[in-house]
Order: sequence, then structure tokens, then C-alpha cells
Amino acid sequence: MARSVSILAAFVLTGAILLGILHLSAGDAASRALGLSLALGAVFGAVLQRTRFCFFCHTRDLIEGGDPRGVLSILLALAVGTAGYVLVIGAWLPVPLPGRLPPDAHIGPVSVALAAAAFVFGLGMAVSGSCISAHLYRLGEGSPTAPFALLGTTAGFALGFFTWNSLYLAVISDAPVVWLPYHLGYAGTLGATFAALVLLALLALRASRTTAEPARSRPLDISGAAHAIFVARWPALVGGVAVGVLSAASYLRVGPLGVTAEIGSLARTAANGAGWLPDTLHGLDSFRGCATAIQTVLLSENGVFIAGLAVASFAAALAAGQFTPRRPTGRDIFAGLAGGVLMGWGAMTALGCTVGVLLSGIHAGALSGWVFLIASFLGVVAGLPLRRRLAGGRITH
Amino acid sequence: MSISRSIAGVLLAGALALFLPATPAAAQQGPLVDAEWLSKNLDNPKVRVFEVSVDPGVYERGHIPGAVNINWHTDLVDTVRRDIASSAKFKDLLEKAGVTKDTTIVLYGDNNNWFAAWGAWVFNIYGLGDQVKLLDGGRKYWEKLGLPLDTKVPAYARSDLTVSAANPQLRARLADVLEVVDGKKNAVIVDIRSPDEFSGKLFAPEGSRELSIRAGHVRGAKNVTWSKAVDPETGKFKSKEELKKLYAEAGVDGSKPVIVYCRIGERSSHTWYALSRILGYEVRNYDGSWTEYGNSVGVPIANVAGTVWQGK
Repeated sequence: MARSVSILAAFVLTGAILLGILHLSAGDAASRALGLSLALGAVFGAVLQRTRFCFFCHTRDLIEGGDPRGVLSILLALAVGTAGYVLVIGAWLPVPLPGRLPPDAHIGPVSVALAAAAFVFGLGMAVSGSCISAHLYRLGEGSPTAPFALLGTTAGFALGFFTWNSLYLAVISDAPVVWLPYHLGYAGTLGATFAALVLLALLALRASRTTAEPARSRPLDISGAAHAIFVARWPALVGGVAVGVLSAASYLRVGPLGVTAEIGSLARTAANGAGWLPDTLHGLDSFRGCATAIQTVLLSENGVFIAGLAVASFAAALAAGQFTPRRPTGRDIFAGLAGGVLMGWGAMTALGCTVGVLLSGIHAGALSGWVFLIASFLGVVAGLPLRRRLAGGRITH
Repeated sequence: MSISRSIAGVLLAGALALFLPATPAAAQQGPLVDAEWLSKNLDNPKVRVFEVSVDPGVYERGHIPGAVNINWHTDLVDTVRRDIASSAKFKDLLEKAGVTKDTTIVLYGDNNNWFAAWGAWVFNIYGLGDQVKLLDGGRKYWEKLGLPLDTKVPAYARSDLTVSAANPQLRARLADVLEVVDGKKNAVIVDIRSPDEFSGKLFAPEGSRELSIRAGHVRGAKNVTWSKAVDPETGKFKSKEELKKLYAEAGVDGSKPVIVYCRIGERSSHTWYALSRILGYEVRNYDGSWTEYGNSVGVPIANVAGTVWQGK
């Protein structure tokens, strides 16, 4: 695509998002919340695309390439977001009393099912080459795998609904919902989280095999700044800070960040319509997390958030000249579908993904977030050899 | 009114405002308060505002400044047996919020004030009827006016409050309803659910789970859907005269005692408030409502739609 056409298309998409935000924000309170969700989704999408923030790729870059920058940006996002959440929750629940959880925060049940689901999710990330949020912004880059991964994810969700009742009765119903501030207080939770993140950062730095890069700075004039903003990849740490701030801002005004509620709801509505769902999904609607619900309204907060994410990342990719569609090969399709199914099942069973459970959970002081982090990391480690075999030596992402 | 008389009126009101001592809490008579009045009385120590919303996170993400949160699911009910909160639990809730016998208590909430009205009914049961008022239009109207919201949780010095024993006259039990159905007592029963729930076409309204294994209504009940009592634009109650006419058309004119019910007793609290507090009729809320009645064995039900539970 010619550069000028891409840039024009980026302008049109940006204009469409802005119009949508303005239109929704002029309505009643519920509509204003949708407008804000759309705006937050758009900012999230642009940040993800510009920084290439990706839970899987950053982990792989460290393990295979010895580059710790991405992992450090994830750890920074966790630290910044936790501080933001503590500020918000501390105002809402001045004393963390047992029996009361902060509203809507993703504090999920901790069980073997969660660990297994996160492990399978990690495998799915490795097979498909991204986590769900990164597939969403890669859609806008013309990735040959992303559409199949998202399709597979929807199918995986349906599979998750199918196994939910047995898992719920066997392990999830008795699983404790552990909110760290009950046990450690707000300051203690913040301190313990920071300590754990520093430890992980030290481990990442020990594994680093990078060499100092020569400085390639452009002159800081208008064209240099435009290049830095719209074309060059933003520094990883900018992504970390931005994701952490967005997470806390979204929690304050709308709800915790999550990218699977809408996908799961679509899967649930479709499967329900087709009569494939069990009549009752025990206890599912009583847990915190990326709640899935049979769709009753056209526009949901998570729906417009995802729309904003996908459209804004597409616009960002177009502006940067990074929209490079490629005809999918059989391998792309297989990797996308298979990895997607694994991720979908994992995200349904864990009540969210790397964003909804890992990021929003750790930010809120949920033990479930940490369990997801460890188990999905192990899943990625176990899945990387699979990915290398699948790619046949050609690593694509 | 002519322009000159309006101007004279404004001048007179301004002069009075200058010379009269401010008595803001007493300025609002009756069972309702206006959003406009409340917005000017947020710093009044004699006014305590409570939000009773049912959706989680609504209060936390922005409530009327200084409002105390009441969690309907845990604070106003007994979480183990099906009942309203005990007087000890209720007293503790109010004392923590610094309520005294001189406090004007204002309740408001989401979902058209349904749960705030339930709260007002509980406050009335414990003898605080003269002090408690609903914010007319609830959250909906406050937000519509664009009045300020706050996310800080207020802390008030604990008060010492005497709460009277529960007044059984405001609450109907299944036995009371059956006495009316069987003609042993003279009263009119008002079903405030939607026409489709009333006729038996629906077992539960959209968004609610089916909790009764029979559909229809209490035999002899009149159907006046709760929403007819409010202006759909603002969520505010209609005028006293309009309300009187609305219910009189259904045969509810205050000449006989009234029993109101819905599915779980919260929407009917809204109608209870209109009939009892605004019109001054003798009204009991049947909080067992259809989830108790529609599941009871052998009670007389009218099911116009003829739906059969689990029937295909």
C-alpha cells in the first residue's frame, strides 16, 4: 500500500474513533461510560502497537534472545499499576476488612484449575505466537495468524464452558479467593509486590545477553519527533508505565482492564443460541474476573473497549507503515487455531487472560494474578520447543 | 403571572433570604427531597445521605459527596435467613454513619431508587419514618443534572441512636396475604410487576433468573406496574394528584388497607413508598412476594396466560 494511502487511512480511522467518543460522551451516564471505554481502548491499542507490548514475545525475547527489556517493561507495568490500584482502593475501602472485596476487582479463586488453565494458556501463547491482547493489535498489522488465533480462542471458550461444571464442582467451588491486603494491609501488599517484582527484574537482568547498542538518535526537530512518535518503536519502559497507568485509570472510572469478556460473551451467546451449552454454568456468574454473559445489549463496555483497541492499533500500524498483510500459510492457520483453542480454554477456565487475571489481578492484590503469572510462564517455557518445531526453524511472529 | 409580579416575587425571596436565618434541613417538607435542594445541603451536618445501589462499583466510582454506602445484599438483610436486617445490625449501621434523632436521612440509588426505596421501608419499620426521605429521581436525575460526584469514602463520628422495635404493621406475611385472598380480611392487593409477569406469560423479568415454579399472580390482585408512578425522563415520582388518579383507576383509593408485592419485594417498596409515604394510605409491603407465594403449596393463583412450568 502506498505510504500516502496508509496515512490517509490512519487519519480516517482516527477521525472515526474520535467521532465515536464524542458521540457517546454526549449521551447519558451509561453512554458516557461507553465513550470513556472506547477512549481507553483506543489509547491501550495505540500504546500496545507502538511499544509492541506483548506478554509472550517479551518473555520469548528474554529466553531465546537474552533481551530483558520487554520483560522489564511488563514488571514496570505491574509495579505502576499496583501503586495506582492501591491509591484507588485505599480511598474506596479505607480498611481492608474481611468479607468485603473492592468492587469488580479481578480477585479470583485460587485452585489447581487456575494453575492448569494458566499453564495451558501459556502453551497456547507459545503455539500461536502471542497472547490475546497482542493478537488483537496484530490484527491491525495484517498478521496472518491473528484472525485464526482469535477464532480459535472463541472456540476454546466454548470448550471451556463445556468443562466448567465438572471443574467447578471438583475444585473451583471450594477454592479460596485470596486478597493480599487482608493479610498484609495495603502498605504490606505494595511492599511485597515491589519486592517480588525487583527480584524478578534481577533474575531477568542476570539472564540478559544484550550488548550495548550504539546510539542512533535523530535530530530533535519536528520531523525527528514525528518519527519517534509515529514510526519508531517506543521504548519498552514507556509501554510499561503507560499500561500501568491505563490499568489504574480504567479501574477508577470504568472497571479493570480485560480483553476476553467480550470474546467470551460472544462465544457464550453463540454457543447458547446453538444449544451447545450446558443448561446451567454453576457459579460462573458469581466469580470476579472477565465475566462472560449472554449478550443482551448491542454495545457493552468491554465490546467498545476491544473495538477501540483494534481500530486504534490498526491506525497506529498504518501510520507507522507497519500494516503488512500476508497470505496465511497452512502453518499460520494451524498455529493460530491450535494456539487459540488452548488460550480460549485457559482464559475461560481462569476467568481471564494475561490482561484480565495476570495484570488486573496482580494490580488489585489478588493471589490469583501471581498464580497465573507463574503457571503461564511455565506454559510458555514448555511451549517454546513446540513453536520452534511448528515454525520449522522459521520463527515468525 | 405578569412579569412585574414575578420580579417582585424574586425580590421578596431575595430579601427574605438576606434576613431570615438559614434553616435548610427543615426547608424540605414531605417524604421526598429535590436534587437541587440536596446539592445545596451537602455540608449541612443535620443531613446524612445514603446510597443504596445494587450494582457493584457504582457508589465507589462516584457518589453524592458525603454519602455513606449501604450494601443492600449484606447491610439491609439477614444474610442467612430470609429477613430484613436485625435491629442491632441496623442500629450499628446508622450509628457508624453518625445518624442521630435530629438527622434528616436521605436515601438514593441506582435502578430507579428500587433498593433505596427498600431501604426507606426498612428505616420506616425501625421507626425512622419521620426522618427518612427519598431523593426524588435517585442517581438517574442527579446524573442528568450533572451534579457533582465524589469517590472519597466519608468518615463520621459514631453517634448514639435509639432504634424502636420492628413495626409489624408495615410488613405483610404470607398468612396476611392469604387472609385477604380468602376474604377473611378486607384489603386490596397490588401486584406492581410488568403485565407479562402478572399474566403469567413470564416466570421472571428479563435479566433475572427463574425463581418460582408457578407463574401468574395472587388471585384478586390488581396490576399497576411500578413504573407508571414515575416520569420516565427524570425518574421522579409523578405529582400527588396524578398518583392518586393512577391508583384510584385500579381501585386503590386508600379506603381499604393495601398490600403491595413484586418478585422479591424491592420494586414493590417503590410503590409502597408512593402509596404510603406520598399518598398517606395504609400499606404493607409483602417482601416474600412472588418468590414466596409462587412457590407455596396450595395457594390460590391466577394464571391468565396458562403457562405450565417446564411444560413444552
